Amino acid sequence: MHRRSDPEQDWDTLRRRIIGLGERSIHKSYYPELQSRLAELERFRAILDQTNDAIFLIDAWTGLLVDANESAWVQLGYKRGDLMQTPFCNLIAPEKRIWFLDFFAAGKNPSRRQQAVTAGLLAAGGTEVPVEVTIRFVTFGEEQYAVAVARDITERMRAEEELRIKESALESSTNGILIADVEGYPIYANPAFLQMFAFASVDALSDRPVAEFFDCGRAGANLLERLVATGSLIGEGLGRRSDGLLFNIQISGSIVRNDAGDPLCMMFICMDITERKAAERIQREAYEQLRRNIEQFAILGDHIRNPLQVIVGLAEMIEDPLTATILSQSRRIDGIITELDRGWVESESVRRYLKRREPVAEE
Amino acid sequence: MLPTDELELKKFFVPEFILGRGALELAGRYARNFSLRKVLLVTDAGVKQAGWADRVCTSLNEADISYEIFDRVSPNPRAGEVMAGAEAYHAAECQGIVAVGGGSPIDCAKGIGIVTSNRRHILAFEGVDRVQMPAPPLVCVPTTAGSSADVSQFAIITDEDERRKIAIISKTLVPDISLLDPLPLTSMDATLTVDTGMDALCHAVEAYVSNASSPITDLHALEAIRLIAAALPEAARAPDDLQARYLTMLGSLYAGLAFSNASLGAVHAMAHSLGGLLDLAHGRCNAVLLEHVAGYNYAAAPDRFDAITRLLGQQPEELSGNERQAAITRAVAGFRRSLGIDASLADLGVEPGDLPALAERALSDPCMATNPRRPNQKDIEEIYASAF
Repeated sequence: MHRRSDPEQDWDTLRRRIIGLGERSIHKSYYPELQSRLAELERFRAILDQTNDAIFLIDAWTGLLVDANESAWVQLGYKRGDLMQTPFCNLIAPEKRIWFLDFFAAGKNPSRRQQAVTAGLLAAGGTEVPVEVTIRFVTFGEEQYAVAVARDITERMRAEEELRIKESALESSTNGILIADVEGYPIYANPAFLQMFAFASVDALSDRPVAEFFDCGRAGANLLERLVATGSLIGEGLGRRSDGLLFNIQISGSIVRNDAGDPLCMMFICMDITERKAAERIQREAYEQLRRNIEQFAILGDHIRNPLQVIVGLAEMIEDPLTATILSQSRRIDGIITELDRGWVESESVRRYLKRREPVAEE
Repeated sequence: MLPTDELELKKFFVPEFILGRGALELAGRYARNFSLRKVLLVTDAGVKQAGWADRVCTSLNEADISYEIFDRVSPNPRAGEVMAGAEAYHAAECQGIVAVGGGSPIDCAKGIGIVTSNRRHILAFEGVDRVQMPAPPLVCVPTTAGSSADVSQFAIITDEDERRKIAIISKTLVPDISLLDPLPLTSMDATLTVDTGMDALCHAVEAYVSNASSPITDLHALEAIRLIAAALPEAARAPDDLQARYLTMLGSLYAGLAFSNASLGAVHAMAHSLGGLLDLAHGRCNAVLLEHVAGYNYAAAPDRFDAITRLLGQQPEELSGNERQAAITRAVAGFRRSLGIDASLADLGVEPGDLPALAERALSDPCMATNPRRPNQKDIEEIYASAF
């Protein structure tokens, strides 16, 4: 005992407690603890009942349902009593029923002690609820049970289907699509991108920073900085194939963010515009030739009209039977040149029209 | 002095017990009744060697109950042994305890029980009503007629580091059932018989003169003294006399019921001190101290001591007051000598220099709270000295 400062007083207190009159002087009873444990179990039961997962306790030997949480019978539309002592496999859609029967049959095989499987659970109304079932054997004392936790995957399957559609869209796009992590390293490229940039697979480009795929002049060097700063970009430039060859591309880039606004990845969409660029160049050259031709006509007119004035002046000063013919032919030539001048003026209008329709014609 | 208020609140607690030939064979049945599938069988090497643990194992086997044997229990069981037993209990995934043996295995089993259910060190339970969670079911098969640990709310454990005995007192320590079979007593030698018998006599005497005694405890204490005085010498003389063994067992049971409710006194407080500091046999210490403490306490309960004197074969009515005080001392001393116990504290290895420390420790023992007189340090040292 601990030392006491006042033995007399302590002895009196001790004596009363030894007699058995202390607050905690009670018969050995497990009931208070039992009550406490029951309350604990009820709390735990409430937690299990409130979970979205359907939880089943199954007798490992008979395969009969021993217990189920509230979610199980509510989600499936049964009453609690309907499920008890019924074969668990009766709740499984026929396609996977054999799997569960095999699982119980192999119950003593340690390798089969826990498994997960996707199956359908049969609801009371006959509908089938797609679930992912994790089932394992557990031992309580000498009793062996299986615990099956079924999670409704209806939403997940819908989301997976949506994801599959999106993935297919990305895969089948004729535009090259490149997705890179926030550090700028590729994590995905669709087949069009791989073909456009002459790579065999995503693995072949995963260790190259995205800036290496584009030659956008001085702006290309800080492509990532521009993208991070602006959140998106669009423009034309050059793409660099795996063999180093450059080709014309139109590129748009954006930062993909989560709901909180945090960047998840970068996405680039590329279009090969080599043919368009070649057509533009031919068009530009044709217009340039046209402009030069018209100018040559104007110069040619001046070069004809000036000698013609001299000829007309000399013809008017002389008396000759051919004078009338000379003047007549000179006026005819002047008329032709005037027609050419008018055509030049009109060609200016055509050029202005083309300029409005095809800006590239003047580049 | 003893309290004079007869209407003072008192409690009397009687555990379940089965007394008689073949009781130990019911161990399996009762373990099964508690829905136990595996038990820790706590015993000691001597009891195991005598075959009594095997007899209980047979009973458990017949009841289809598996068991783990823990026999690393010494006399004056150590805290370390209790903790080791608790580890063995957990390791074997036991659900209950069967104790087979004398006071040491049973006290150790009690300690193991509360350690396993409360998950605290055994020394943390020192004192009264410090046990929060009841221990797992405990079935006791006593093999001595002395400690009455099988029916008491006490567990005495030695703190080996501090070299002292601690007392754990709690109603939750009372075993769930005691199977009192006289047969195992027949394997005790004369020394163990008289030492444990004198321990039972001390229980009865101290409970009778305790300041927490009640009319109910008095009935049991007086019957215990009568039975022990009558049967113990015969049991020591004829170890195989099952009838004598039965009577000593019955006497010990009465004494246990008395002291578990009325508690003890200075004899046990001082014996615990001796056992803790010097690791001496508990029953022998009690035997040596009883007459001296009785002499010291006489004035606090003269009528009660006179009654004890009469039960020990003396006639105090024929004596004067002072002579009566001497008579109780003589009666007890004569009884122990008749059993062959002639030792003094010096013979047990106590040194004069030990007395102050012994007295100090005795005064802090909870048994001292129910002694009919309130001694001080000097009183206790003088009692020790008189037994020297």
